[in-house]
Amino acid sequence: MVTDFLKTCCADPMKLIGEWFVILPALVLLLAAAAAVVMRNLIHAALLLTLSFIALGIVFIALGAEFVGFVQLLVYVGAVAMVIVFSILLTKPDQLTKSRNLLSGFAPAAGVAVAFTALAALLGFIFSSPLAKKPMPAPASAPVAAIGEALMGDYVIALIVLGILLTAALVGAAVIAMEDKP
Amino acid sequence: MISSLESAPIDVLHWFLGLLGSFGVPAWILAIISALIIIGTIIGVFLSLFALTSVMERKILARVQNRYGPNRAGPFGLFQPIADGIKMITKEDLVPRTADWIVHFLAPVVMMVPALLVLAIIPYGRDMVPAELDAGILYFFAVGAGTEVAVFMAGWGSNNKYSVLGAMRAIAQMISYELPLVISAIVTAMISGSLSPSAIVSAQGGFAFGFVPQWFALTPWGFTAGLIFYICALAESNRSPFDLPEGESELVAGHLTEYSGFKYATFFMAEYVGMFAICGMFVTLFLGGWQAPLPFLDIIPSWCWFLGKVCFVAFTMIWVRATLPRLRIDHLLAFAWKFLLPMSFAAFLSAACWHYAGRGPLAWILSLAIVGIPYLLLGNAFTNRFSVSRRTYLFSE
Amino acid sequence: MIFPGSGILKGLAVTARNFAGSYVEKDRLTTEQYPEERPKLPEAARSFPFLVYDGDNPETGMRCVSCKICEKECPPQCIYIIQDRDEAGKAIKRPKVFDIDISVCMSCQICVEVCPFESIRMDQDYELSSFDRFGSLILDKPKLLKSNSYYHSIHPTEAAETDGRIEADRLKKEAAAAAKAAKAAAPSVVSASSSSSQQEGKP
Repeated sequence: MVTDFLKTCCADPMKLIGEWFVILPALVLLLAAAAAVVMRNLIHAALLLTLSFIALGIVFIALGAEFVGFVQLLVYVGAVAMVIVFSILLTKPDQLTKSRNLLSGFAPAAGVAVAFTALAALLGFIFSSPLAKKPMPAPASAPVAAIGEALMGDYVIALIVLGILLTAALVGAAVIAMEDKP
Repeated sequence: MISSLESAPIDVLHWFLGLLGSFGVPAWILAIISALIIIGTIIGVFLSLFALTSVMERKILARVQNRYGPNRAGPFGLFQPIADGIKMITKEDLVPRTADWIVHFLAPVVMMVPALLVLAIIPYGRDMVPAELDAGILYFFAVGAGTEVAVFMAGWGSNNKYSVLGAMRAIAQMISYELPLVISAIVTAMISGSLSPSAIVSAQGGFAFGFVPQWFALTPWGFTAGLIFYICALAESNRSPFDLPEGESELVAGHLTEYSGFKYATFFMAEYVGMFAICGMFVTLFLGGWQAPLPFLDIIPSWCWFLGKVCFVAFTMIWVRATLPRLRIDHLLAFAWKFLLPMSFAAFLSAACWHYAGRGPLAWILSLAIVGIPYLLLGNAFTNRFSVSRRTYLFSE
Repeated sequence: MIFPGSGILKGLAVTARNFAGSYVEKDRLTTEQYPEERPKLPEAARSFPFLVYDGDNPETGMRCVSCKICEKECPPQCIYIIQDRDEAGKAIKRPKVFDIDISVCMSCQICVEVCPFESIRMDQDYELSSFDRFGSLILDKPKLLKSNSYYHSIHPTEAAETDGRIEADRLKKEAAAAAKAAKAAAPSVVSASSSSSQQEGKP
């Protein structure tokens, strides 16, 4: 109702605002991710990482990929962030505050080098792929029904294989967590 | 008259916007004003509903216990929320010295955001959805996931062992109960073929034999899924009997221990608004949303029906709170993983059978069997597992 | 084989019955609506001591003779008495100051038991809170003095008993005086008359 109204009756200013809806969360995403790496306090780092997940979800939504954005929020904020937080909580508290000084010596340089190598490799693959040669398609918001059709149609094998993989992981987790009965 | 009441809120909005438009206000400013008015109305309605519930809950609990409940402030104690609000605002805002004050400060804010955001996709009446999304249900659960982060922030930021314990319990509970919650919601999406709440509501329209409403809760699979959704909704909104993260008797209110004054009030408000949101979702998914229960009752506007149903569901939540004692944490998690999750899968299968067996008498028998048999088996296994055994003593006879 | 969840349904039925019942049966609601409804206190209920006076004038009808027995017996020592004196400086049987600090008083009733003049008695007034920390919790003589009819209204049985005892004492004294007068004339039947009057005095 509102969104349609916004889209129809005010194309120009909304477009401007719409661009900012992408740029602002993207900035937040970058800043939060950088801060999460630098932070000494592990909990703060985890929370900033969560913030970057949220910002990424908002970027997806602002770009018209609603479904991906919501899944990003549901899976990363709802589950992954909580797993990180839980693992921090279950470790000993003194390891939290007095974490070893990773920011000295060659460690940071090595980390940055690894990160940039990985980024360069990724960019190289992306730009050398045939997809990059194609002209940019018009940004169309993918309706959920279309995604569903695609998942259940063309990509059904991939979906089922992933499902089996996840089920196996789930069963494995249950086996590990099962208490040892005499 | 009837139609004017039905669309009265929208008419008023359009009249007001038209009035502004006649003064030469540009269209995009009008759009923003329209959005702000809708947001303000929804927040206003839900916050006043919260205020009303905070006193009605106490009155209902009191009546169950054969007491009067609050009846001093104003007629029938209806001004009690105002008194509570003044008390909360004027209280000292304590922050523990060793607390992580940024996290401690942000937690109530983060708690409030998802509670208000999820209100955006609920269809409040015929053609009255603030934000019509294709994946509305997904949005509801995705945004609702933020609550867990807020609870964790509150528990960790307080730097208090009870708070951390309460937060861990709360997160464990929320993650466990989110699974059956989502699966039981997906069942309705499967039958109606859409993730959009308004499409799900319209899929429940019409009347069988001219008077039986075709709400999902009135089918075997829908009843099961609805019950699971309801139980999980109780757990997600931290309400009794699943309120053990707050456990005031053993955890001195869990993650809320170190909060006072307005921050505490914000948590309280967020919890109640979240409860209403999830009640609204329950009504939308299983109780036919804004549809009237009988054909001739259509004369009452749809948004009144929606509000009435939400209030009824909220009343049952208070009723359950008055009845059931708090669970133990291991029972609680076992209940989620070993009973609710298999039952939600059973409801899933049952809905599929219902759809493919043609939604007739055969479908009824099949889907009833698919949910009924696991219910009896699982329920009995579960009840026997937790049957009270004789207490044995180690060091005395 | 039981039907799972039946216990919850039973519990819900119980709470629903109580919820609906509280609107139908008024005697379910036992809460007293305090400022409007006052509790009917049992006769033996007691809060803090007060002083009884006879007749209408508190000063002249005062029973207290300032013997200070209660002051001496009071375990937490919350009673404070100064005896009154006339212009010549001679002590009168009347207290000039009689204070009871009810923030200290423990309602033990010992003062009542030891009072030989049936003067100090326990009150039933329980609305004693005040905004003033010290002043209004020390009851002085004007606040302590209450009429015998008030005493009758709060402790009827005990008051009647006390009145009977006072009456008996009065009769005994009169009889003794009469006997004294008679003794002067003919010393013979003193003991018999005094004991019978005491028997009649008890209700």
